[in-house]
Amino acid sequence: MGNTKQKDEIMLKMRNIHKAFGAVEVLKGIDIEVKRGEVLAIIGPSGSGKSTLLRCINRLSTIDQGSIDIKGQCLALTKPSGEVEYARPKDMRKILSCMGMVFQQFNLFPHMTVMENLLEAPMQVKKMPREEIQPLAEELLKKVGLYGKRDAYPAKLSGGQQQRVAIARALAMEPDIMLFDEPTSALDPELTGEVLKTMRELAASRMTMVVVTHEMAFAREAASHVIFMADGNIVEQAPPEIFFEHPREERTKAFLQNML
Amino acid sequence: MDKLLNTVVLMLEGSEITLEIFFVTLILALPIGMLAALGRLSTIRLLSRTVEFYIWLMRGTPLMLQLLFVYFALPMVGIMLPDITAALLAFSLNYAAYFAEIFRAGIQAIPKGQYEAAQTLGMTPAQTMRRIILPQVIRIVLPPISNETINLVKDTSLIYILAMNDLLRVARTIVQREFDMTPFVIAAVFYLAMTFVLTWGFKKLEAYYGKYEAEG
Ligand SMILES: Nc1ncnc2c1ncn2[C@@H]1O[C@H](COP(=O)(O)OP(=O)(O)O)[C@@H](O)[C@H]1O
Ligand SMILES: [Mg+2]
Repeated sequence: MGNTKQKDEIMLKMRNIHKAFGAVEVLKGIDIEVKRGEVLAIIGPSGSGKSTLLRCINRLSTIDQGSIDIKGQCLALTKPSGEVEYARPKDMRKILSCMGMVFQQFNLFPHMTVMENLLEAPMQVKKMPREEIQPLAEELLKKVGLYGKRDAYPAKLSGGQQQRVAIARALAMEPDIMLFDEPTSALDPELTGEVLKTMRELAASRMTMVVVTHEMAFAREAASHVIFMADGNIVEQAPPEIFFEHPREERTKAFLQNML
Repeated sequence: MDKLLNTVVLMLEGSEITLEIFFVTLILALPIGMLAALGRLSTIRLLSRTVEFYIWLMRGTPLMLQLLFVYFALPMVGIMLPDITAALLAFSLNYAAYFAEIFRAGIQAIPKGQYEAAQTLGMTPAQTMRRIILPQVIRIVLPPISNETINLVKDTSLIYILAMNDLLRVARTIVQREFDMTPFVIAAVFYLAMTFVLTWGFKKLEAYYGKYEAEG
């Protein structure tokens, strides 16, 4: 463990990512790199390809060109012939297992209680006995402030509570990288705070995170890096202080103007 | 009084065939219907199209015609089946087609996000189906399955035309012989009782599988 956890370890590296749906090119050569403990915030107008980029990281979408390395292991590469090759299924499962994802629509399992949602994957996928995983699950629920709701079904929870359970569920698999796709966009404004608080705490605990968001305040405070995407390209990227105080590109300025 | 007892005994014997058709059809048609639904949703076009044709054929022609077909037409091409087998074949294939459409709709009602959440947690497609999708599908399909099952109770009386001594045929035989309508009343009570038990059972199942829903 020791020396693989060094601070500068590159957790995620994407090179020249291209992706099209039919004739529409949605990603036009994206490069990103995220080191351990960093929080990358991706912002940009709707339809600019943010979700697609995020989904390519954990293979919910496949790329048409480029390469993806996760913690130094090759998930996908482009061969000289131009063909994209993904890791073999067994290696792929292992590579993908270090990533967790939180969705805009929560996607909790509605037929399971909060606790069962957290236990499901560790028990089914890692084959951990219940006694072994339950303490971690309880600790996670306490951390997101929902231990009291452990026996409730998701339908009984507010959107903000559901999203915090979804974060805890992903964390129960003990991932090294967490992906968030607009985690607060489906929430009533008064409920976004509690979810952002959980995410800030996660960032403060040095979790590596890639966050697609419209919450500028969160990006400004919690991100180590901000990327602005438009039309499938990275228009601008910088540390948050520089990005928000001194944006260089006109498109970025116009976008930020609109968000305030 | 003896006469009534005699009638009831005869009719209980008749109800054996009725119950046999009912239960065997249910036990065969549910899994066949599930397989057909998965086939119908398959990305293998030939499979999906074949199942679609089968469903169209079964739902587009009367069950009565299908019964007559297996009973009279198959022997003409040299396929001899015992009466009860022929009836069960027609019933099972017919009901499987209806169940297939119910299961298909149920599976398609599950949001894509459920599959994606399971996938990002590392679950295999088989685990996802068994642990995440099917339990939710069962909740969705229980009411329409309950409807079809109650229809099946009454449809069993169609074997009447195949000269098998089911409940209804026994009733009619006695009525014609004795000029007494009691057997019809007993038959009605029998069908009603079965329907009552089924309605009650499905209500329990719905409550069990629906316990996660917001209301209640
Ligand atoms: N599965 C898909 N099939 C076809 N087009 C898609 C699909 N997913 C996304 N797109 C298109 O790709 C573009 C980028 O979408 P998306 O990555 O969701 O953008 P964002 O998350 O930035 O709003 C949009 O024009 C969208 O319509
Ligand atoms: Mg999006």
